[in-house]
Amino acid sequence: MMRLAELEQAVQAHVLAGGPLPAVLERAVAPPASERFTIYVEAYRLRLVEALATQYPALAARAGREAFAAAAQAFIADTPSVHRSIRDYGAELPAHLAAAATDVEAAMRAELAAFEWRLAAAFDAAPSAATAPGDLAGVAPQEWPELRFRAVPSLARLATHTNAVAVWRAAKAADAADGAPLDAPAAARIGRIDWLILRPELDSEFRSLPGDEAAALDALLAGESFGSLCARLAEAGEEPAAAAARAAGWLKGWLLAGALERV
Amino acid sequence: MRDGLGFGLGLRPVHYQDVLDGAPAVDWFEVITENYLVGGGRPLYFLDAVRERYPVVMHGVSLSIGSTAPLDLDYIGRVRALAARCEPEWISDHLCWTGVGGTNLHDLMPLPYTEEALAHLAPRVARVQDLLKRVLVLENVSSYVSYTSSALSEWEFLTELTRRTGCRLLLDVNNVYVSSRNHGFDARAFLDGLPVEAVQQFHLAGHLDLGTHVIDTHDAPVREEVWDLYAHALKRYGPVSTLLERDDKIPPLAELVAELDQARAVARQTLSAAA
Repeated sequence: MMRLAELEQAVQAHVLAGGPLPAVLERAVAPPASERFTIYVEAYRLRLVEALATQYPALAARAGREAFAAAAQAFIADTPSVHRSIRDYGAELPAHLAAAATDVEAAMRAELAAFEWRLAAAFDAAPSAATAPGDLAGVAPQEWPELRFRAVPSLARLATHTNAVAVWRAAKAADAADGAPLDAPAAARIGRIDWLILRPELDSEFRSLPGDEAAALDALLAGESFGSLCARLAEAGEEPAAAAARAAGWLKGWLLAGALERV
Repeated sequence: MRDGLGFGLGLRPVHYQDVLDGAPAVDWFEVITENYLVGGGRPLYFLDAVRERYPVVMHGVSLSIGSTAPLDLDYIGRVRALAARCEPEWISDHLCWTGVGGTNLHDLMPLPYTEEALAHLAPRVARVQDLLKRVLVLENVSSYVSYTSSALSEWEFLTELTRRTGCRLLLDVNNVYVSSRNHGFDARAFLDGLPVEAVQQFHLAGHLDLGTHVIDTHDAPVREEVWDLYAHALKRYGPVSTLLERDDKIPPLAELVAELDQARAVARQTLSAAA
């Protein structure tokens, strides 16, 4: 093995996990090499904590500076970055928080993190060629059943079971500059809420969806044709004409929101 | 001025709107490459808008040219695509390594200054230059540790790399100062030791002086000792494109423009005295 490879592996291992100081370092220096190396060890962690605070500002505000840093450090210890851009670091944090959640506050924070990650992903997603309602004006009636759509690049779906989005709104409105935890509103378990996240222009947007509409959208995004969606609604007991009208209403709303591209 | 762009600032998101609204007296902007390796949205919108008005240079932090891990061809491809979009004057990164085995430390880790490292670097620089279809510009980094295996001075190492690959140098004057204090070498010897024709750009930034050692923080104005070294560098290299960096505790744009004017004044004074 190249000596350079051994050197890099030893130095990286020490940044990540500590242990004995790598033998490759010059020792005859003042301040001592151990103190000098600490600069790299601390910078690595501080940089990733800062990256997480940037990606998860409401979570950071809710937890407060110290608790957030501690939670971030625990995540960082488990999750070295594999990304070229530090902006991409931290996608696993919501699952990491959810796995360790034992109370409603922790469960809410995991959902808050999931919500923020999706907002951040929408923020710099690729531009879309969203289909507008008018683009379907020329579609012949017999072609409608076979219409299929895919999500625009910024689209994300999420379901919450806590008041995470209310906490997000409170954190966004608060001035968390002093680093103190944000206590209100108290975390609460509420019924399932489905969310649709999009970035039509430069700003990310989100809105809640009724459960039946969310299920219909998910089916369409999974590749179901418009005709099949209408048929399924009718099979569930609705008059075919009413089912088609309801599906058409939803479709118009999704198209107006800029959510879909016709396949 | 050798391909000189004049006096530039690092483009930071907090200044996007001020840059577009205020037409500040900045000759060019340097953008952090990785911040724009995204699909779209606000970052690319503002990059395009700034590029319409100013020359731009792409400055990367994750090429990891000195790593013994394979070159990341996907990353280099994305850098090339971004360059096709914003047509930078040049593309720079750092002479360092940032990780091995798939990990990225997001830090600029120093290399040992050895023949082995040069033999490893030279074909990698050549490959990246082929892939990007342009000369690569590499920056000297600040460092806090050194290696027992180093057999060359840092400036001898940089010089040899430019000789073998034709790459250019981004001479970070603050980094020279920081490393000179940390390793006890003569900063002027470093500045006097590089081939004049290889220096494409200067960096200026602030640091934190802890007495026993110095940390490259980029969170404060340029200090007097770095202005002195900048003047020294100007005498040797001439009016090289100069970039003022600030990455933390970022002040209002006007404050950075005023500090950039200080760089202009140092250059004017130094170069007119030398003429």
